[in-house]
Amino acid sequence: MAAAVAGCASSAGAHPHVWATVRSEIVFGPDHKITGIRHAWTFDEFYTAMAVQGLDANGDGVYSKEELEPLAKVNVDSLKEFAYFTFVRMDGDEKFLPLTPPVDYWVDYDDTVLTLHFTLPLQTPLDPGSKGVTVDVYDPSFFVAFGFAEKAPVKITGSAPGCAAKVDTPDPESAEAAKALSESFFSQLGPGSDYGSQFAQTVMVTCDAP
Amino acid sequence: MRRAAGLALGLAVAMLATLIISPAVAQTAPPSAFGAPKERQAAPPAFTVPQAAPLSAKGPLGGVLTWVAQTQQKMQRMLAAAVKRLKQGNALGAALFLAGLSFAYGIVHAAGPGHGKAIISSYVIANEETVRRGILISFLAAGLQGLTAVALVGLMLIALNATGFQVNAWVKQLETVSYGLVFLVGLYLLVTELIRVWRRRQTREDAATHNHAHHHHHDHDHDHDCEACGHIVDAQELAGPLSWKKIVAVVVSVGIRPCSGAVLVLIFALTQGLFWAGVAATFAMAFGTAITVAVLATLALGSRELALRLGGGNTRWVDAVWTTCAIGGALLVMTIGGLLFAASLGPTRPF
Repeated sequence: MAAAVAGCASSAGAHPHVWATVRSEIVFGPDHKITGIRHAWTFDEFYTAMAVQGLDANGDGVYSKEELEPLAKVNVDSLKEFAYFTFVRMDGDEKFLPLTPPVDYWVDYDDTVLTLHFTLPLQTPLDPGSKGVTVDVYDPSFFVAFGFAEKAPVKITGSAPGCAAKVDTPDPESAEAAKALSESFFSQLGPGSDYGSQFAQTVMVTCDAP
Repeated sequence: MRRAAGLALGLAVAMLATLIISPAVAQTAPPSAFGAPKERQAAPPAFTVPQAAPLSAKGPLGGVLTWVAQTQQKMQRMLAAAVKRLKQGNALGAALFLAGLSFAYGIVHAAGPGHGKAIISSYVIANEETVRRGILISFLAAGLQGLTAVALVGLMLIALNATGFQVNAWVKQLETVSYGLVFLVGLYLLVTELIRVWRRRQTREDAATHNHAHHHHHDHDHDHDCEACGHIVDAQELAGPLSWKKIVAVVVSVGIRPCSGAVLVLIFALTQGLFWAGVAATFAMAFGTAITVAVLATLALGSRELALRLGGGNTRWVDAVWTTCAIGGALLVMTIGGLLFAASLGPTRPF
């Protein structure tokens, strides 16, 4: 019974409270290398209401670009502690590649929902080569539930002939996924919780051999 | 008997909620806003909200986790739509719908992974609490959580004109305080239990040396001896002084943390100019949460009861089960509180 109670508790804090729809662009530089990821995250109405609450400083009922700017800044600044919820690596590699702080960031508010736009440069431009590159977007603690947009979730910008990006549908039967779960299942309670990785959606960037 | 009745009541209410909800679900047309995203990402004038592909988890439990997460998302969207509908005619119908939906959301929210119920379940098995008291504690804690949320949002946004992020910062502070208190409650339970076990052993050994000289038959003596003392202890435990101090401690430690879900609903309702609807939704939600927590606490107590009966009236067995539950429950409360406390000290969340 204790085990059952512990089992319940182990996934504590695993309620998503914020929902974000992700649309991403894989940005290619001139030399056929990925230079960064350009995100557009659209939040749910509840989070939006919370985020913009009190920001209409002049009380004119309109949230101007200037009024919303601090919000974008707070968002991108605090994202650093969470690795921008973006995990880039060569397909099959263990190690995630380092990203640098976001550039070109702003928020859109259309009176219903908020969208955060920002570009995450890779520290070192990356050649997808023949292996391909994967980009995961998720919150390990699952406080924010990230999901790629149903339509046009990902695209490539810049010059990348022969390259394609698409969202991988997770294969629930895959041995790797099962392994990941059993490894993480009992270590979900603490600060290093990785519960959210089960919901990770992966963008796969592949290029034809030149 | 009462336990079974409580459980049956809980199930009946849950089923009723489903019945109330399902026709309403059918009526809810998909919001037209969820169309396709525009080709360009940079702020087109007529922006349409992109819809996310359904979440799905991997692994053996993936199905269940996926269901819980998706249901929550669906219900949150419906809640938003329900609050908005309040503004257009038929306010009573919309209000009832909102209340029913919040109630069901509370049930699902608490049925998903969470800590409030784990803490309360562990607390009740650690103590000589009756089912009635377990239910009472569940309801008081959920009620207080709702009250904290309403007070926080009302005070900060209406009276102090704060920003949503300031409210969020407060929620985070209160979470830390709550988890710290939960840890202390667990520690207190553990210490008192250990002291009691130690004292009981002392008295027993005293009694044993008094009455029987032959220590080599210790086991037998012990059993024999405890026929009497076991009964006395049992009687004390069943009568268990209604310790309001302890109950207040556990209720406050859990309830001081406003439910983040409720805070979001309240702020959303406020921005729609319908704060009262948010308050009503919060308490309907708290009621739903309380029922789930009460059912789980009752199940925990039921399992303890079962464990007690497995011994077939053997007093040493009964004693061992009580002690195990008391120490195990206290340790669980402590562990959950401590881990969540540590987690809550992490960096400020961006969202």
